[in-house]
Amino acid sequence: MEILLTLLLIALALMGTPLFIIIVASALLGFYMEGVDLSVIAIEFYRLAEIPILLAIPLFTFTGYLLSESGAPQRLVRLTQAVLGWMPGGLAIVCLCACALFTAFTGASGVAIVALGALLFPALMQAGYRENFNLGLITSSGSLGVLFAPSLPLILYGVISQQMGLGEPFSIDDLFLAGLLPGILMIVILSGWSIWQGKSLPKIPYSTQALFDAVYESKWEIPLPFIVLGGIYSGYFAVSEAAAVTVIYVLIVEVLINRDIKLKQLPSIMHESMILIGAILVILGVSMASTNYMIDAEIPSQIFETIQEHVSDPLTFLLLLNIFLLLLGTMLDIFSAIVIMVPIIMPIALEYDIHPIHLGIIFLANMQIGYFTPPVGMNLFIASHRFNKPVLQLYRATWPFFILLLVAVLIITYWPALSLTLPAAF
Amino acid sequence: MHKKINRLIHLLEDGLLVFTLGAMILLALSQIILRNFFDSGIEWSDPLLRVMVMWLGLLGAIAATKQSNHIGIDVVSRLLPNKGKVVSAVIANLFSAIICAIVSYYALQFVLIEYEDGMMAFSSIPAWLCESIIPIGFGLMSLRFLLNIGPSFKLWADEPSNQQQSPK
Repeated sequence: MEILLTLLLIALALMGTPLFIIIVASALLGFYMEGVDLSVIAIEFYRLAEIPILLAIPLFTFTGYLLSESGAPQRLVRLTQAVLGWMPGGLAIVCLCACALFTAFTGASGVAIVALGALLFPALMQAGYRENFNLGLITSSGSLGVLFAPSLPLILYGVISQQMGLGEPFSIDDLFLAGLLPGILMIVILSGWSIWQGKSLPKIPYSTQALFDAVYESKWEIPLPFIVLGGIYSGYFAVSEAAAVTVIYVLIVEVLINRDIKLKQLPSIMHESMILIGAILVILGVSMASTNYMIDAEIPSQIFETIQEHVSDPLTFLLLLNIFLLLLGTMLDIFSAIVIMVPIIMPIALEYDIHPIHLGIIFLANMQIGYFTPPVGMNLFIASHRFNKPVLQLYRATWPFFILLLVAVLIITYWPALSLTLPAAF
Repeated sequence: MHKKINRLIHLLEDGLLVFTLGAMILLALSQIILRNFFDSGIEWSDPLLRVMVMWLGLLGAIAATKQSNHIGIDVVSRLLPNKGKVVSAVIANLFSAIICAIVSYYALQFVLIEYEDGMMAFSSIPAWLCESIIPIGFGLMSLRFLLNIGPSFKLWADEPSNQQQSPK
């Protein structure tokens, strides 16, 4: 009976039923069978109002949407081009860095592909790079930057793991530091490939004048990363306060100083960004209930016992985890994957002595590749739609990037120090 | 008449959404200014901000329902022929409407109990008022899911030959 209903729910999920409905339905079912009053769903949902850090999520998301509607993407491209454009493979590296910075603020929701891809793709073609290289570069860059603060997936992982209260306690700030080196590793590896691809192309000469102009043009946006990160690490702001300061700063800069955004556009930008927030928070709210049910039913420890019969060492476990997360990443978007899977995986990973910060970085790095893993990675379809190319061509275009980032993920997985050194040092 | 009511509800939902986000930003900012420059703060500001996040989440979720923009798995439905897409959309929306209605009903029970208890969430704001958005939000989502069923029939008449061009 229970199995039958579970299969039914899976079928409904595959038909396109929103995930939060599936989660509520399974929680309702579980509580009903245990004879618990179903009002408990509302009580658990109300816990959304008891997590201070959640405030950061709508504020940073709104900031990201504001930035993408403004002239900031163009200015960011011009600035990185002036700084890095003279190198071999320069323009491709510009694409990597600009997308990573942009994704950190917007959360990898395909915004980077749509906002930056439109600027970078024609420029890359003109510079003489192969079309498939360009498509692969932009598609895979669309999720690059998930590991950089203040990305939403990082915050969300922090929120969920703090709610669980398992293992060594850590703060969101630690998580922000932990993502830095692994994120840089990914950029370095992809930059190497870009230099190789661009080595025979004519270089753009370096110009101090262009650099000066670009810096002047972006003078208001350059302080942004420093406000966010500087504010948090100096202990001056809590993460949610940094989010409030950032959104005010960006509002003043883009609406009043640069005047890229008109005042009357604001309601529709707010509306757009809050749709994403609503979709994420409602999943988070209902999974408060289902997670509780799952932990009461000791589901993670049952899974752990089954796995432990076959897997005794952490290395094999990590390998299996990588494979599992890669598959998961093609099916689920990063937000629901975090909310649904972290409560199950974390207790198991702790049994294998994996540090929760390290686990978070592994999790996000895998999900990041999942965005463009064939056959159904979401960014493949966004790019196919945006550049009007068949999805099959995007499969061909992205596989070298897939292999390279897979290498990065393996390094991140088996070299915990890469993630854990910075948080320990500060 | 029906159209007018519909527009009024839209306006109310969108207005509340924009107002909540705007108020949140201003409140958070004033809190930081008070704390850093005047060494004080508004006592109820933090709990109010936290409740607003939950309100914002539900208001955003209603908007996401309106535009069929919820996070879900669309792998299979993307591959189906048009008639299959219609059938799966109808089933998915109907099921979602039922589930939201159930949640709304039980959330209302919870709010009613809280109303009788008369507990305060913070300052002089009663807890039931803060919680009232849960039954309202899920109730409105239930309605929206029902309303989504009609438009999904549009694909029914389309010839399946049109659908190969874009995978979206």
